[in-house]
Amino acid sequence: MITDILTGAIRSGTSVMLASQGELISERAGVINLGTEGSMLGGALGGFAVTVWTGNPWLGTLAGGLCGLLISAIHAFLVLTCHANQLATGLTIMFFAMGVTSFFGRGFVSEQIVGFNPVAIPYLSEIPFVGQVLFNHDPLTYLSFLLVPLLWFVLFRSRIGVILRATGEREEVLFANGINPKLVRYAAVLAGGFLAGVGGVQLSVAFTHSWVENMVQGRGVVAVALVIFASWKPIRAMIGAYLFGAAQALQLTVQQAGLPISPFFLFMVPYLLTLAALYIVERRQRSQTPEALSRVFTGTSSG
Amino acid sequence: MKQQAVNAPMLNEPLSFRSRLKPIGIQIAVLIAPFIIFGIFLLFYDVNPIALYGSMLSSTFGDLYGFGEVLIKATPIILTGLAAALPARAGMINVGGEGQLAIGALFATWFAVFYLSSLPAALGIPLMLAAGALGGAVWAGITAFLKVKGNLNETISSLLLNYVAVFTVGFFVHGLLKDPDSFNWPFSPEISSALRLPIVNGTRLHVGIVIAVALVLIVWLVLKKTRMGFRIRVLGSNHLAAERAGFKVSWMQFGVLVAAGALAGIAGMIEIAGIEGRLRPSTGATYGYLGFLAAWMAWNHPLRLTITAFVLGMISVAGNSLEISSGLPSSSVHILMGLVLFFLLGSGRRLKK
Repeated sequence: MITDILTGAIRSGTSVMLASQGELISERAGVINLGTEGSMLGGALGGFAVTVWTGNPWLGTLAGGLCGLLISAIHAFLVLTCHANQLATGLTIMFFAMGVTSFFGRGFVSEQIVGFNPVAIPYLSEIPFVGQVLFNHDPLTYLSFLLVPLLWFVLFRSRIGVILRATGEREEVLFANGINPKLVRYAAVLAGGFLAGVGGVQLSVAFTHSWVENMVQGRGVVAVALVIFASWKPIRAMIGAYLFGAAQALQLTVQQAGLPISPFFLFMVPYLLTLAALYIVERRQRSQTPEALSRVFTGTSSG
Repeated sequence: MKQQAVNAPMLNEPLSFRSRLKPIGIQIAVLIAPFIIFGIFLLFYDVNPIALYGSMLSSTFGDLYGFGEVLIKATPIILTGLAAALPARAGMINVGGEGQLAIGALFATWFAVFYLSSLPAALGIPLMLAAGALGGAVWAGITAFLKVKGNLNETISSLLLNYVAVFTVGFFVHGLLKDPDSFNWPFSPEISSALRLPIVNGTRLHVGIVIAVALVLIVWLVLKKTRMGFRIRVLGSNHLAAERAGFKVSWMQFGVLVAAGALAGIAGMIEIAGIEGRLRPSTGATYGYLGFLAAWMAWNHPLRLTITAFVLGMISVAGNSLEISSGLPSSSVHILMGLVLFFLLGSGRRLKK
């Protein structure tokens, strides 16, 4: 049963994890993107549609990522070029994406796909317990395993990472070095949108193998919350996402075990858990917030 | 759309603000552009946009019934819009209108079904309204508590709580509040007919719109004329100044958020007592987000909010007729609404807090 929950945690947490890594890049550069929810929706539908048309889930992944990127481009343009309020813009994008995907997604509701399926890695998956939990997943999940250390390396051990983090903390420094912080922010938001889109693909093409209207169900919002919970650190964001996944996996396990708990309470648990985790962490970490971001939170910056 | 274009130049803004306004031509272009883009989009789906916009206007202003339908849609949007606009004036972004409306509807139905069913209208309706307000206030109170005690960003917590609220309503209509005669359909028993809001003859229009407009005026007066309103605006425009002036910032934030929740909760009560008569899992869905859009379209100004809410109500009603006449889903007008706000957000006017 514990194996089931842990495997399920990774399986259903991966989409949130990918989105939260993307959001982390964007927030490190000082842009909070609540449109992540919209990017995930766009990615879920775009990836699903292309997989239906071509039968190739990898093409679907690429398409989904691009859909996510396009949606986040709206955010980048409005926030960075037009100096619109970041939170309000993100929410509008979320709403807009709900409309767009439910419009274009109508024809795909009953479609079926093969998509990504779990691939057991030879030898490794035969390790008792660990093998079952870690090495019996879809290819996107394996890629997401690799993404986290890679992102950590880029952020904290490479020149690009320094530039990115400096953008979120002190953009004057970048100006002094002849780098345009706006450009860096654009790149960060777009990269974040791409990852959120891929997260959406994981949800529709690898996890549920179907498209349902508004299927992301707040996972993008959770991803944003998790980045704050994680103090803008990739590995903690990963743990947070799997925690969310575990809470969702718990639903299935409890239902299968036939325990007399209302399913509605179980549906709530992941969101409540996210809130509780935020509440515990947020009380004592103000200093770690990227400075440009804390200006957004306190409302002293509208751009 | 037209109302807005006409309205924009009439606003009584301070001179310094007005001098920053872009030429009126650009403003009008910003308001019209989304309709043109959406029109081109419709052309790909064999819908004549001019006919659609025309029928939108004629069905709204053509007869009393259509006008009533728009007002019915506008009523909850005004209230959830206030729930977004009031905190925005205090420098906070409340997106919890969706959940606050749902819990308000839940409280209102609960009280109506179990405690108020034998009361006369004059007593029962105000009590039910209070119950709805209480529900919304309790739900917003969670966000406010997390904000004040936990330093948790209210945007994120109120958004997350929207999902929790939907499941909470689901829990009640599948369980404690389920109609025993419903043949297993998930909805509550019908509230007693004495508790239904009075209706204008020949339409479905109920007096909810009066309540909504009255609350708009109250919020506007409080913001504009009272000391408390002044303090809220100071807090919104300069957090630091408010702190230095010795305002109890935490308490103010708490109070504003709870008041906003109460307003959204009243919208939930009106949906139950005015339209639905019983609680369903989908009661009031998307009104919270529409209210948020309306509030930001009105730059969080209560009086302008009534106009933007009316416009959004018009577009929603048009969405329903779009679905019937051309088979496009009614949610496709959400694309139009999103576009309108994109253009407004991008038009370079700094958002007022």
